[in-house]
Amino acid sequence: MSSLPRRIIKETQRLMQEPVPGINAIPDENNARYFHVIVTGPNDSPFEGGVFKLELFLPEDYPMSAPKVRFITKIYHPNIDRLGRICLDVLKDKWSPALQIRTILLSIQALLSAPNPDDPLANDVAELWKVNEAEAIRNAREWTQKYAVED
Amino acid sequence: MDSDMEMELESDSDEEFNDDYDYYNTGEDCDVERLDPKRADPEYFEYDCLTVEDIEKLLNERVEKLNTILQITPALAKVLLLEHQWNNHVVVEKYRQDANALLVTARIKPPNCNKDQADAASTSAAAAAASTTTQLAKMGSYKNNTSNHSSSSTTTLSTTVSPQYRSQMCPVCASSQLGDKFYSLACGHSFCKDCWTIYFETQIFQGISTQIGCMAPMCNVRVPEDLVLTLVIRPVMRDKYQQFAFKDYVKSHPELRFCPGPNCQIIVQSCEISAKRAICKVCHTGFCFKCGMDYHAPTDCQIIKKWLTKCADDSETANYISAHTKDCPKCHICIEKNGGCNHMQCFNCKHDFCWMCLGDWKTHGSEYYECSRYKDNPNIANESVHVQAREALKKYLHYYERWENHSKSLKLEQQTIDRLRTRINSKVMNGSGTWIDWQYLFNAAALLAKCRYTLQYTYPYAYYMEGGSRKNLFEYQQAQLEAEIENLSWKIERAETTDLGDLENQMDIAEKRRTTLLKDFFPLHA
Repeated sequence: MSSLPRRIIKETQRLMQEPVPGINAIPDENNARYFHVIVTGPNDSPFEGGVFKLELFLPEDYPMSAPKVRFITKIYHPNIDRLGRICLDVLKDKWSPALQIRTILLSIQALLSAPNPDDPLANDVAELWKVNEAEAIRNAREWTQKYAVED
Repeated sequence: MDSDMEMELESDSDEEFNDDYDYYNTGEDCDVERLDPKRADPEYFEYDCLTVEDIEKLLNERVEKLNTILQITPALAKVLLLEHQWNNHVVVEKYRQDANALLVTARIKPPNCNKDQADAASTSAAAAAASTTTQLAKMGSYKNNTSNHSSSSTTTLSTTVSPQYRSQMCPVCASSQLGDKFYSLACGHSFCKDCWTIYFETQIFQGISTQIGCMAPMCNVRVPEDLVLTLVIRPVMRDKYQQFAFKDYVKSHPELRFCPGPNCQIIVQSCEISAKRAICKVCHTGFCFKCGMDYHAPTDCQIIKKWLTKCADDSETANYISAHTKDCPKCHICIEKNGGCNHMQCFNCKHDFCWMCLGDWKTHGSEYYECSRYKDNPNIANESVHVQAREALKKYLHYYERWENHSKSLKLEQQTIDRLRTRINSKVMNGSGTWIDWQYLFNAAALLAKCRYTLQYTYPYAYYMEGGSRKNLFEYQQAQLEAEIENLSWKIERAETTDLGDLENQMDIAEKRRTTLLKDFFPLHA
């Protein structure tokens, strides 16, 4: 593998030195482009109390193309599907080389606080979120308790 | 029209010379038709087939014209023309009304940037016109911190100018470099030269050219071509960029169309933007000038698109499923009825049931016909949906079969012509007539193909037509055309036994029917 770009080194250093509250991103021992991420469920959201594991990978042409991010912990959310794939504009067409790992993870955290059922990835979840929000939120809480809370 | 009327009146009053007048009348008509082919031939279309070089010249002329009027860089002129269908008047007009708004909508300037300055400029028109011009000239060009580097110096922009020798950190590569390595657009987002270059190459690689935007998040300011071409050095990437940009320019020009022929470089130009047939002079591909698809008169562009999508997608499969299948009442698997008997046995769960009422077959026994009485009771909603679907399918298939059939006939008739050609060849070789003597047969075959082509495209038209007297008229004319075409086809196939006069007469009739239908139904100025 070619040497790690300065940009990735800088970002990693800053993530370790000034971590974002509620977000923890640690590079893999064997691959500095692969990060083990933990995002805690935001307060006042159905994901409160949950600890969500994600994986983040910086592709070869990062930052010209967006990092690849996926939830590993199961989550009941209209914009996240069963495989943990995330529907988020900044990961796709709104990606800009000036965005960072930090900003992307903050956007994901914000997505947990404000689900967007009008732009769904998990159709069944989005549908329920629209017709019966109370029940959808109940489901999200249940899943959080079941999959994202360590006993 | 007027001259026709006069002639009729005159001939009425002058009965003796009626024949003579008729003779001259037709002669007169022909002249009129020759003078105004637009009225005589509903398919008449004026266009030019131009090369890439011709078009480049044409576009550059527009760019230069705008440069001189507005005193702006060619790169900016290109962006403005691209955004306004290459209409210089509209650009100049908009610029005179509100230069700031023009630059914001063309994504040269970010919204709210330099707002006060621009407002002032646009309100006090005359006095500030000069300052707006300079502002406009500055906009659209990029800014490099070396004051002597970029020709149109932009040092007076309200955004902060970094001194060229102070080092600065690029937010993309996170490296510190001297200020003169940095470039920014009107939005002021500054990035280093290397990052811009890599970014441009990434974008070009994805086929993006005129739409490349600033690298900053949520900033939609566009990168004009001069910055791209200043920073991208690799000849391959530069060529690619220019090719893609050229494509964008042609596509944004309402009077230009790329010839859809495979590997054809020709661009067709016409001032009349309508659904007429253009035929490329190089590769001979014919296409509808408006939508670029196969020519489709009398059907219009939207309808033919709808029709082709309908034929291509599986919406009819869905209708078929609805019309010919039901779900097993026990295990809910989808079952296709493939025989006449209404006693069904599910292949999956072996449940016996009645196709008509979906009830258990056991209750039917010998009293099979009783179920028709109950049919509309339990399943009325389902039934009506099925009936509707079946009806819709029947209608579609009616038109589709005819559409398909004529398409096949066109191919078969091409084979007939090929056979004719060999036969005529051997005839000529054996001394019966010359090549010229048989030429009329090919004219007849070409006309047949033309007529059948139009006939084929009348079916989608009829499919989407609403019922009523106009549809009746259309279908009447369609039937007439169809009958004459089949006559013509018959006569061509038996060319050696048909006499020339008869064949020519038949050709004339078929073509008249075709033009009549087109005149009545082909939307000329849609």
